[in-house]
Amino acid sequence: MSALSYFLERDGIATTGISLVRENTESMQPPRALWVPFPLGRPLGKPGNSAFQHRVIAAALALLDRAKGPVLEDYPEDAPAVISEAAPACPIAFAKPGGEATGWAAALCKELQALMPWHDLGRRRRRGRTLVGLSANAIQDNIEKMGRLLDDGRLPLDDLAWFKAATEDAKAFYLEALTAQPGEYDQQELENVLWNQTALGAAILKFNKDFKAHPDTATLAVITAPRIAEHPESGS
Amino acid sequence: MVRLSDLPDYEREHLLAKNLPPLGPPVFSRPSKPLSELRIALITTAGLHFRDDPGFEFTDATFRPIPGEEDAEQLIMSHSSVNFDRSGFIEDVNIVFPIERFRELAAQSVIGSLASVHYSFMGAGLMPAAYEQAASQVAGMLKQDLVDAVFLTPV
Repeated sequence: MSALSYFLERDGIATTGISLVRENTESMQPPRALWVPFPLGRPLGKPGNSAFQHRVIAAALALLDRAKGPVLEDYPEDAPAVISEAAPACPIAFAKPGGEATGWAAALCKELQALMPWHDLGRRRRRGRTLVGLSANAIQDNIEKMGRLLDDGRLPLDDLAWFKAATEDAKAFYLEALTAQPGEYDQQELENVLWNQTALGAAILKFNKDFKAHPDTATLAVITAPRIAEHPESGS
Repeated sequence: MVRLSDLPDYEREHLLAKNLPPLGPPVFSRPSKPLSELRIALITTAGLHFRDDPGFEFTDATFRPIPGEEDAEQLIMSHSSVNFDRSGFIEDVNIVFPIERFRELAAQSVIGSLASVHYSFMGAGLMPAAYEQAASQVAGMLKQDLVDAVFLTPV
């Protein structure tokens, strides 16, 4: 973001915007930035809270009026916390994750089937909005293919773009199903459920481990599972 | 978050490794008009695009246009990083791409107007200089659209 800010400004377009990692912005010195104390992925702070979002935007737009720069200002307000006890309960009781007993394909397909009605409900609540659709294939086909690869002990080395789209679609599908009911959700608890309780989380972590062990794909492992899922001892 | 002091060591070290020097001498274009007269475009590095657009590659300095009249609820995300929350964006597109908020600001005449087209990049895996050519291309299109200022959001 600092780079775009710099290049646009150099071409005569004034820029302002959000910084999520203050130290990175401080070192690159873009013309104007408002550092916000919000989680990565949430630059405006609070989903569904237009008043809060407007306050953040107003603070960033105010930087356009500064006489000189670079300007890096700290936004003083934390995003309102979610009370995890008040969040809707997880709609599914997940089986112990992992596909060693029944086979990955069977475990993943069974889990997907259980989540289907919840995903439908979530999609209706969001008036049809879904992030699923990066892959050209249906999610059922992708999930089954991922399971078969694991059951056969193979990596999708010749189709990494498919694999990335399929896993992103699957994670979006799960998050949309887990948050089907109206209410506020604790994002760390959602991550905890996804990575520690579901067969999908266990499957992606298995791919992650296998990618790391393969000389051609070791560097690609970083786009499979987040660091927090690889460090469960210090995560959620 | 994201106060580095709140993060585990491995995460803090990863983020601090992204500290880079400035791209060149300081640049600063102060708008010549008040906010209420500025035409503003949104640019995000969140890897957003519509379903029928090509997704972003694992590393990718290209951009996708987001026409202002399109339904932003249909935007999807093909950012290659897996290390940020997506549940907020699932719930509300404005958490990353605050188009509704800016439409409200334009309707209230807090800003002058909104650009005809906004833009999305995918910020991951490349050194900053890799974005120079695409940024210049976007700057040219923004000028054609008479845009005065850009509001940038990372993810």
